[in-house]
Amino acid sequence: MKDEKVLEVKNLQTYFYSSEGIAKAVDGVSFTLHKGETLGIVGESGCGKSMTSLSLLRLVPSPPGKIINGEILLNNTDLLKLSDEELRKIRGNKISMIFQEPMTSLNPVLTVGEQIAETIRLHQGLSRKEAWQKAVEMIRLVGIPAPEKRAKQEPYQLSGGMRQRIMIAMALACTPDVLIADEPTTALDVTIQAQIIDIIRNLQQQLGMSIIFITHDLGVVAEICDKIAVMYAGQVVEEGATDSIFAKPLHPYTNGLIQSLPKLYEDQEELSTIHGTVPSTYDYPIGCRYAERCPFATDLCHDQQPDLMTVVDDKKVRCWMYSEEWQGKHLRGAV
Amino acid sequence: MTLFILKRLAQIIPVTLGVTLVVFLIMQMIPGDPAIILAGEGASTETVEELRENLGLNKPLYVQYGEYVNDLLHGDMGHSLKNKQPVLEEIATRLPITIELAFYSILITIVLGLIAGIISAIRPYSIIDASFMVVALLGISLPSFWLGILLMYVFSVQLQWLPVAGWDSAKHIILPAITLGAGGAAIVARMTRSSMLDVVNQDYIRTAKAKGLKGYVIIAKHALRNALIPVITVVGLQFGSLLGGTVLVESVFAVNGLGRMIVDAIRTRDIPVVQGGVLVASLIFVVINLAVDIMYRLFNKRIDLN
Amino acid sequence: MEKITLTVDHSILTNARKAARKKNRARFMNKMKKNKAAVAGGIIIALYLLIFLIGPLLAPYDPYDVQLEQKLQAPSLEHLMGTDDKGRDIFSRILYGSRLSIGVGFSAVLFGGTIGTILGLIAGYYGKWIDSIISRILDIMLAFPGILLALAIVSALGPSLINVTIAVGFFSIPMFARIVRGSTMEVKKLEYIDAVKTLGANDFTILAKHVFPNILSPIIVQASMRLATAILSAAGLSFLGLGAQPPSPEWGAMLSSGRDFIFTAPYMAMFPGIMISILVLGFNLFGDGLRDALDPRMKN
Repeated sequence: MKDEKVLEVKNLQTYFYSSEGIAKAVDGVSFTLHKGETLGIVGESGCGKSMTSLSLLRLVPSPPGKIINGEILLNNTDLLKLSDEELRKIRGNKISMIFQEPMTSLNPVLTVGEQIAETIRLHQGLSRKEAWQKAVEMIRLVGIPAPEKRAKQEPYQLSGGMRQRIMIAMALACTPDVLIADEPTTALDVTIQAQIIDIIRNLQQQLGMSIIFITHDLGVVAEICDKIAVMYAGQVVEEGATDSIFAKPLHPYTNGLIQSLPKLYEDQEELSTIHGTVPSTYDYPIGCRYAERCPFATDLCHDQQPDLMTVVDDKKVRCWMYSEEWQGKHLRGAV
Repeated sequence: MTLFILKRLAQIIPVTLGVTLVVFLIMQMIPGDPAIILAGEGASTETVEELRENLGLNKPLYVQYGEYVNDLLHGDMGHSLKNKQPVLEEIATRLPITIELAFYSILITIVLGLIAGIISAIRPYSIIDASFMVVALLGISLPSFWLGILLMYVFSVQLQWLPVAGWDSAKHIILPAITLGAGGAAIVARMTRSSMLDVVNQDYIRTAKAKGLKGYVIIAKHALRNALIPVITVVGLQFGSLLGGTVLVESVFAVNGLGRMIVDAIRTRDIPVVQGGVLVASLIFVVINLAVDIMYRLFNKRIDLN
Repeated sequence: MEKITLTVDHSILTNARKAARKKNRARFMNKMKKNKAAVAGGIIIALYLLIFLIGPLLAPYDPYDVQLEQKLQAPSLEHLMGTDDKGRDIFSRILYGSRLSIGVGFSAVLFGGTIGTILGLIAGYYGKWIDSIISRILDIMLAFPGILLALAIVSALGPSLINVTIAVGFFSIPMFARIVRGSTMEVKKLEYIDAVKTLGANDFTILAKHVFPNILSPIIVQASMRLATAILSAAGLSFLGLGAQPPSPEWGAMLSSGRDFIFTAPYMAMFPGIMISILVLGFNLFGDGLRDALDPRMKN
């Protein structure tokens, strides 16, 4: 079952057009998501991970944003080729989303029950009464006490953590194939974060959906994800199983990210950081986008962009160090 | 909420008293002896003195003010200097006309303003939007007395579709109501548009899209309800300029309402009538403001509590 | 050791604030220049100011010269805007009237703005019971709908252009006072003001030299928006016969007398109406631009 592909993204490119030029927010992102699997998309802010997630449901603000290339295959249907009406039937039904800001993502003038129930009515054609009952059930499912009472309340009467639970209830109301969680815990307190992650994990086991978990928090990723795609400057730079990436990161950027995590059992004078800054999305270098900050960069890295190449089995990396050219050069050097 | 209403009601009392004080002081601001003015030109000294005695004009100001408020509470606004009729009676015949005019005007303000604003916001920067907004800009720039004359010239003089002036049939209401409501409609349209555009960029609209809701459901159910909250305040403010505007529009179209009564009374220096008219119009405005505040609060309770 | 002087010159502080304001102003001017509507509004206002300054010099005829044999002539090369019911040249009257119509607006805003600013500064700076009293008075002034307060004042003072100026100015006091009060309370919280206080400046110096310059921009925005209303209100009162009296070429008064000839000589009412409308349009365009440029939410 685990091998069944649910979502496959190929060479996705989302650009933003403004008076200052073209911002290549998402620039050739590819990944595959299998049934029941959790994929973490990790990166610093501005690396394009949120835009990738919005692109999947074609929710990129347009103008100025535009998906200019790629395929998004949901059970082998390309979402980018669907009409607006066809896509609308998939949103909230086959693929749903939860967002970073629970405080502002719920409509302030509607009861939370109604906000869940309207999705159910829309996609499942239930009557008002049935949909309301199901909404109450969903609120119970995400662990909110007294769901009947809560359903009748408006968002301002709920705490941030509760609102995020409501968002989850809303997203899962139609048992989607894929749940996209865009930094769902970032705006919450640490204790609430853990609760929300538990809820998502439990519901995944109950409902069997696949999850794309977008975050900048490697700790969360290690806890919840089966595999990881690390993004840097609009591209995936490394992809592989969570365990193997944490055990042996291939890309120097991934390595830097992991090194900068505080470690529990080691004495650290100070946390290591990655020097330099992310290149502007308007003006990427010709070569490897990480070259400026990379301690191993050579002329090759500055001159040519590496492809995402498979190194071992499931592990892919976008770095010259693992190419034949590099191996050859270093072999020659050794001789 | 009840507490808020009670508080707001309590606030009204000093404001109302203040309004009566200002209206009372109008008389005192007149250069010269009020008794002579009230008695009219050419009145004998005895008449003036008699009037002074009768009206208590020789008493201290605060006593006079107390008596004025006391009279008001008993429904006595004094008598017109011209026809000696009680001011309240005059107002009672004029006020319904002004209320009718104001009602149709505010209807035009709200309906036209909302429709234009929503259409503009659905297709921002389109040709429809641009033309609506140009018209709206003209709407807030044309003085009502000038717009009234223009409309009169086009529809009454040139096309001869509608009567020039008066207040006898439904046809008479059309031009004054449009004239009085146009400026407000323009302001409401601009406000609705910018409020809608603001709301459309909110996170919860993105959530609504992500749920797969239909476009019109997103607009009507999710966006509009939120966008209308600030529009309520603007409509409330429009009541004020609308009430003030009746003075001009009633004069342009020779409508015998409260506004025209005030203007005529100022021309003839019939001060008690001016006082009564200004007082009634202001008290109506105070009550409307109260209603608007409570409505805004009802729609907006969630934002306050955050 | 040299004796340390305790009288620290607070010009350092003042200069730092000045520099910050200058930078803000440059950014603001840049935004205004990009805003086409604001530029158009600015040009319209500038043209009217030009008419205000040199209009009477350009007038081909005496605006008060009654030539009954030439009455009610349609616009022609000889009389660009035609003649009125007394045979006076409407174009010349419009040019002369600019002094009155624009002048009344500016004087009224200057009058109301000054009093409103002083009241707002006092209420905002001292707070407590002083603020309560001033705020209640403002509430009462705002309880009168539209131009009714101005109307009430004119009714007492008697109809004349000067009284209209006073009345319209009076009725814009609360708008200024409210804005200034709010801004003053903001500025008062700045550490900068505390610093000036520590250096021993008295209240008047603080308000005049340190608070006022920092709240100038909201005052200017308010003034530009109030100008449109003031000109409209003053013209409206004159239209009602409560302001400028015939034969004055004030635009509202001209419009009023033109109304009686709308069947036979519509141009008599058209030109003064157009003049007022375009001027108000200019202020509205400019005001929109000002607001956009100063609104922090409009940042790109």
